[in-house]
Amino acid sequence: MKEIIRLVGVLTTVCVLAGLSLAYVNEKTKEPRAYQDRLKLLSSLNMVLPQHDNQPDKDSVTVDGTTYYISKMGSGVNGIAFEASSDKGYSGMIRVMVGIKSGGEILSVGIIDQKETPGLGSKIAEGWFTDQYKGKSLDNAQWKVKKDGGDFDQISGATISPRAVTAAVKSGLEAYLKNKEQILGGSNVVQ
Amino acid sequence: MSFNSELIKGVWKENPLFVIVLGTCPALAVSTSMENGIGMGLAATFVLVCSNIVVSMIRKFVPSTVRIAVYIVIIASFVTIVDLVMSAYFRTLYNALGIFIPLIVVNCIILGRAEAFASRNSITMSIADGIGMGGGFTLALLMIGSVRELLGNGSLFGYNLLGSSYIPILVMILPPGAFLTYGALTAVVNSLKKR
Repeated sequence: MKEIIRLVGVLTTVCVLAGLSLAYVNEKTKEPRAYQDRLKLLSSLNMVLPQHDNQPDKDSVTVDGTTYYISKMGSGVNGIAFEASSDKGYSGMIRVMVGIKSGGEILSVGIIDQKETPGLGSKIAEGWFTDQYKGKSLDNAQWKVKKDGGDFDQISGATISPRAVTAAVKSGLEAYLKNKEQILGGSNVVQ
Repeated sequence: MSFNSELIKGVWKENPLFVIVLGTCPALAVSTSMENGIGMGLAATFVLVCSNIVVSMIRKFVPSTVRIAVYIVIIASFVTIVDLVMSAYFRTLYNALGIFIPLIVVNCIILGRAEAFASRNSITMSIADGIGMGGGFTLALLMIGSVRELLGNGSLFGYNLLGSSYIPILVMILPPGAFLTYGALTAVVNSLKKR
């Protein structure tokens, strides 16, 4: 009996101490982490949006679980950015930031996060790959990789990752068009 | 048993990957490039030294029946602390290593050293053991990573060395390449050790 109390005592003490120190570190790093998260969001927004004079991360609308960041110059909307993601990649989630004009034409696409095979699937993050989405919209392109009869290049040795990116961007565009009225609201749109 | 001999044994005589063959799963998974190798190696070394210190400090109070549970709590706590601190203050490094940090919890080297060494030795010796084993692990990852990155991508540390005419042997950065390289290097190290 005495032995059991000792075991329980030691385990409880260790766990309480570990819990306390984790709570302390979590609390201490909360603000810097939020700050870094915002920096990361801003840099990915700047990557895909045109020049703007507002703060797109504060000028955002959330519809159906997707947040749309609205970029404005003067009082007119000149671009919208949203995150599209796919779990159909080779490993883990692929997260893509998509910047579009209000009509649904792509301004720029940037990969925010991917864990694809280094040297193979990871090439989706390179400029030559993401550039091919520029100027494309649902109407003027076949949203499949070339191997599946579409318009987008695959990467030799890695078809799965480009396929996932293309599908993610496509479904993001579809969701945008479906909820366009709600996202833009009464905003003044610059064509 | 001196501080220095404990320090260097992990590098060669008892190299965790090539000789003890511990922690092979994360090693095979992340050794696709030298950069990944060094990041994983250093993060694991940090956790290993910290957990060795704490395990050695409390070795007289922990009843042997619950020791493994206690070690795991300690290791997991350190890994989470590293994860949080890096995400707050070293974001670039964190982005590069993000996925490997949680993997350290399941790295058997760390639990193995807590059990086989730190729980029986003084704090100073445990620090030496942690640095040595961590260093040996890092070095081994760098060796595997360099072979795989050079053959599989034609580059080292991301710098293209073999030129554009080189056709990469893709299999080397895929999982089979990890086993091939690891097996070959283990054979080389062990035959050198026998002399």
